[in-house]
Amino acid sequence: MADKEATVYIVDMGISMGEKRNARKESDLDWAMTYVWEKITSTVATDRKTAQLGVIGLRTDRTENELDSEDSFQNISVLQEISQLQLPGLKDLRQKVKVNDTADGDAISALVIAIQIITKHCKKLKYKRKIVLVTDGRGSMDADDISQITEKIKSDEIELVVIGVDFDDPDYGFKEEDKDPEKAINEAMLRTLVEDCEGVFGTMQQAIEELGIPRLKTTRPVPSYKGQLTLGDPEQFDSALCIDVERFPRVMVRRPLAASQYVQRSDLSNGHVSTQSSATMMPDADGADAGPTSADGHTLTSVRNARTYQVLDEEAPGGKRDVSRDDLAKGYEYGRTAVHISESDLNVTKLETQPGLEIIGFVPWSTFERYMTMSVSCVVIAQKTNSKAIMALSSLIHALFELESYAVARLVTKADKEPLITLLAPSIEVDYECLLDVQLPYAEDVRSYKFPPLDRVVTVSGKQIREHRNLPSDALSAAMSDYVDRMDLSDLGKDEEGNPAEYMNMTDTYSPVLHRIDQAVRWRAVHPTEPIPPPYEILTRYSNPPEELIARAKKKLEKLIVAADVKKVPPKVRSRKRNRNEIRPLSGLDVGALLLGNKSKKIKISRENPIPEFKQALDSTESEDSVYDAVKQLSTIIETQIKDSFGDIAYGKVVEELGVMRDEMIDLEEPEAYNEFMRSLKGKLLGETLGGDRKDMWYEIRKNKLGLIERKSSDRSHVDEDEAKAFLSSRS
Amino acid sequence: MAEENRWKPPGEEEEEEEDEVDEAAYKSARDAVLFVVEVSPSMLTAPPPTDAKKQERDTPTLAALKCAYALMQQRIISNPNDMMGVLLYGTEETKFQEGEEARGGLAHPNCYLLTDLDIPAAGDVKALKDLVEDEEESKKLLVPSTESVSMANVLFCANQIFTTKAPNFTSRRLFIITDNDDPHATDKALKSSAAVRAKDLYDLGVIIELFPISRSDHEFNRSKFYDDIIYNASPTDPEAPAPVSGGVAPSLTSDGISLLASLLSSINSKAVAKRALFSSVPFEIGPGFKISVKGYIIFKRQEPKRSCYVWLEGEKPQIATGVTTQMADDTARTVERVEIKKAYKFGGEQITFTPDEVSGLRHFGDPGIRIIGFKPLSMLPLWANIRPSTFIYPSEDDYVGSTRVFSALQQKLLKDRKVGIAWFVARKNATPVVAAVLPGAEKVDENGAQIIPPGMWLTQLPYADDIRQNPETNLIRAPEGLIDRMRVVVQQLQLPKAIYDPRKYPNPALQWHYRILQAMAMEEDLPEKPEDKTIPKYKQIDKRAGSYVIDWGRELQTEHEEWQKDNEVTTSVPAKRSAPSGKDLIPDRSKKAKTATPDGGPTDAEMKHAYMKQEHKKMTVAQLKAWLQGKNMSAGGKKAELLERVEEFFENK
Repeated sequence: MADKEATVYIVDMGISMGEKRNARKESDLDWAMTYVWEKITSTVATDRKTAQLGVIGLRTDRTENELDSEDSFQNISVLQEISQLQLPGLKDLRQKVKVNDTADGDAISALVIAIQIITKHCKKLKYKRKIVLVTDGRGSMDADDISQITEKIKSDEIELVVIGVDFDDPDYGFKEEDKDPEKAINEAMLRTLVEDCEGVFGTMQQAIEELGIPRLKTTRPVPSYKGQLTLGDPEQFDSALCIDVERFPRVMVRRPLAASQYVQRSDLSNGHVSTQSSATMMPDADGADAGPTSADGHTLTSVRNARTYQVLDEEAPGGKRDVSRDDLAKGYEYGRTAVHISESDLNVTKLETQPGLEIIGFVPWSTFERYMTMSVSCVVIAQKTNSKAIMALSSLIHALFELESYAVARLVTKADKEPLITLLAPSIEVDYECLLDVQLPYAEDVRSYKFPPLDRVVTVSGKQIREHRNLPSDALSAAMSDYVDRMDLSDLGKDEEGNPAEYMNMTDTYSPVLHRIDQAVRWRAVHPTEPIPPPYEILTRYSNPPEELIARAKKKLEKLIVAADVKKVPPKVRSRKRNRNEIRPLSGLDVGALLLGNKSKKIKISRENPIPEFKQALDSTESEDSVYDAVKQLSTIIETQIKDSFGDIAYGKVVEELGVMRDEMIDLEEPEAYNEFMRSLKGKLLGETLGGDRKDMWYEIRKNKLGLIERKSSDRSHVDEDEAKAFLSSRS
Repeated sequence: MAEENRWKPPGEEEEEEEDEVDEAAYKSARDAVLFVVEVSPSMLTAPPPTDAKKQERDTPTLAALKCAYALMQQRIISNPNDMMGVLLYGTEETKFQEGEEARGGLAHPNCYLLTDLDIPAAGDVKALKDLVEDEEESKKLLVPSTESVSMANVLFCANQIFTTKAPNFTSRRLFIITDNDDPHATDKALKSSAAVRAKDLYDLGVIIELFPISRSDHEFNRSKFYDDIIYNASPTDPEAPAPVSGGVAPSLTSDGISLLASLLSSINSKAVAKRALFSSVPFEIGPGFKISVKGYIIFKRQEPKRSCYVWLEGEKPQIATGVTTQMADDTARTVERVEIKKAYKFGGEQITFTPDEVSGLRHFGDPGIRIIGFKPLSMLPLWANIRPSTFIYPSEDDYVGSTRVFSALQQKLLKDRKVGIAWFVARKNATPVVAAVLPGAEKVDENGAQIIPPGMWLTQLPYADDIRQNPETNLIRAPEGLIDRMRVVVQQLQLPKAIYDPRKYPNPALQWHYRILQAMAMEEDLPEKPEDKTIPKYKQIDKRAGSYVIDWGRELQTEHEEWQKDNEVTTSVPAKRSAPSGKDLIPDRSKKAKTATPDGGPTDAEMKHAYMKQEHKKMTVAQLKAWLQGKNMSAGGKKAELLERVEEFFENK
């Protein structure tokens, strides 16, 4: 577990904090609170009982602290005692933080109070103690006993952070012009204090800017395997090699905060619910006083999943009946056969294995394809306290490195876990050595999908061609090569010393959704009624090539575009007629002609073979009447199939036929033919005139989005998006 | 069914349900394969005996049925929701779907539906197994009819099977296995009507795959009949690349490879229906310069299907399907999906957003792959990996010319060993990821059949948030002598052909799971010992490397004792080392070790200094390599070559 933390924020709320300075649109207090709220909400978000914080108001109208009888401690209020802060407490706090009318109150005294409440709370226990002072330095400060304070802060190991509004910071590059002389003195004093305490002293602008760089969470490494790395079988052969090793995660995806499901509580009085219901998602505008999210939170209740089980039963209505969970046994599916396995035999299908990391053999780097890696990666190091194992593993790491080879190994992390095949790669850094480990595919994990070659075209006759519209010309290859070289990222970035370095290193990229949701949740907790601010710049920085690079490669790109001669396919060209006429078997035989020869001019669509015959009927005609006739024939078949369907047996067929009809009518630009039928079909289904209750069939139509053809799909449709939506969702 | 979604975090299943996006939204993403096997005197004649030992001598029909049997077992594991059936034609007996007899059971004479198209049941597997393993059984059934069979009829029979049993599937395929290249040589009308029926199948979206068998005296000639039957592309995917031939046509000539083996290999290459993970996603190579690509899952961890509940009270065990209803926690009333709101827990309560806000939070641009720039492959460390890569291949659907541009890029990256770095959004509102775009060359096996297709691969890279710190440990660099001895060991034990070939390693746990289930389902004896090809070949390791390992072990012993002497200060308190408090000791010691043994990766300054004093020749190979790699220079070759490169570097400065 992480250490216990106690942090006290001292916030200057004096009258001067109400000013808007330096062309900012918000008051100094609001501006400074951006920083404080981010810090506080980050702590609240951890949901850790051990992450505790307190807040002290400085230069408040009232005085509320344990030393309030003394003169020097006036106008200081403890707004929040040190404790785990929850959402209600956060809301209370929001009410208390506002600009006061006074200019009195001593920041140094506030520090003393902060030290005092920390001491009282933490006693002698192990805590990470921290005080954050946020001020504009425009109040009067009494520096008399400051050396004592420094002493105390150091002896208690309290980290002191002072962030000042418009404080000068030459390192960061900020200097306030025409600075108030008193402020200058205060700044200097605070700076000395912080330096003496080895704390952090900074200007607000920088602090706020740095909020845009997400903080990384460190996770204590937990081994995923502890055991031996072997070569050979130590039980059978004396020549087997064994090294005690441990394996830790190297890459592990951090997931964004997950949303949970809630619904409106129903045990509240109706009146209350109705006023809230429409606005629950968006807390009330007057929420500032009532604490809207709190009210909102109380109107929600969580959603529970209840599972029931059904089996097929031809006699039951709907063909299915519920069975009790108690009547069910565990089992597995083998194809569509249920294989029941008694409770005591449940492990029978499990392969018995012994834990181990066993080397199968070695492969050179050159034959290994990088795209074969299947999983997140781990590091394998020797047992930490075993110097012999460390030296032994080091020799393997170096041998692999010098031979430019990987080891392939079989890994069983725990007894009876399934074996994995992993690739072990040597990693040597200046002060670190390890094997990197990433999983490889099994035979079953590779699908054999075939694709034509990209560097040549093979014709049906087996001839290989090197010049073809699908192959790049020399000009295109050259243009591509120039462009790729120009778009090089390998030295576009800067390292800490300002030297050219890799641009967009993985350690510079932050998970956008993770931090965006985190940001939004914390924002909403403090600002229930305000819209969410845009994402931090860093989250979208790498979604486009850097401007500098684009400018540099502009000429090359223009050349490439010319050489490539790529044309966007206009949506209309995919029309039916064009494609259909080109459809021939490999021999080129005109089957359409055969069809016409065989059958009478007007194709009759049969129930046995409706889809091909429907398509062929459409092929053989140009006239609108015949199209309508074909649709009519297929419609009749569809209705009969539904009528005759035992349960849902014919629904799959009907869905397919409707899908084909819909697609063909879109292609032929006859949306009304389909829509007309669909309207009438819906009426019949819901009117139960096609063999009783056919609601499930209507559900299939909805599920498969086979409703009316809307204008988006076909210009000639009179149905707009709303109408199509309403058609599918309404029950009449 | 759809793949489990690997590009998204859990907990959002409802928002992004579909995964294998298909143009035809109303279709269910499943595959149905119908084997159509001819039974005729020639198909029932075994090939002539050959010199090759252990040569299997199956008749073509039997070999075909063995393939079907093998494929059926394989698909139960790999595609548990997909369907399969077996239809024989040319048999004396006639049999069609149950219950169909009444409606003129002889509609398809001399067609024998051995296994109706469905998800295979244990009974289907057993029936096939009995047929291929029990000679009596096969003799009874595999009797050729004296009448000749109309191919039109066979094709229509298949049409009916697909229409009734697998309506609405995205993929329906007919595997025809025959040695007769001209079934209607003399009857033009029958030939035409077969062509018409084949067109019906095409219009239905059924793809015909032909597995022709040549005889020693007769080369199968497709142009006589089958070129009228088979169409080039699938109708659902008019732009699909032309079919890649599955190697040579299986033949009965005695060229060492058995008919069964070659048939099995060509059928295996078609075992899985090609399904796109995403279609026609824009691939933006530069600002305003787009082509379209499709994505495919080629690598995916195959897991056993999860356990289920079985209802035992009925006549035969039945799988109970679970239905989830959602209830409000306070009153246990059932709630509708539209009522459900998403909220985030924060500070002990919930923070809510409007649905628009929720989707806005996830929105980081439209779907697409956008190249940010390029880097050398060496800047992509092996550990930078999260999940299997996605294969991408160009599509002409949205941009004509995509293929040639894609090809130019792929070849350039292959040649210069570079990778693209891309911003990748797979679907609307999908979590954006940073991916490496890796070029992949085509790989073929010894027969010229494709193993890995040519194209590019999207490898998701970790964000800073996903990268864990290395655990703290000591550094004790092995001395040169010890490394030398280990090098010899490594050199003895290269994998065959110096590659890791996944095809050689079936997943032992997965295979065992299904073997046991199969035995239980078919009420056979349970197998005793699993076959596990992942277990290292201990004997070979001992034989080839044993003595070298022992050498290494002795050296380790000596060197370690030596090291302990040098590091006496810390090792003089051995009790502390194993105690947990010894932790404090560790960092100290590592510093000592660092100075005791020279560093692996010298800094530029160190290297320059060494070069000036001509001391760089004293550096170890590892140090030189580490430094060269840091400079993105080749780190291969002998020490002399490495030194040369270092010298070159400073000379040119």
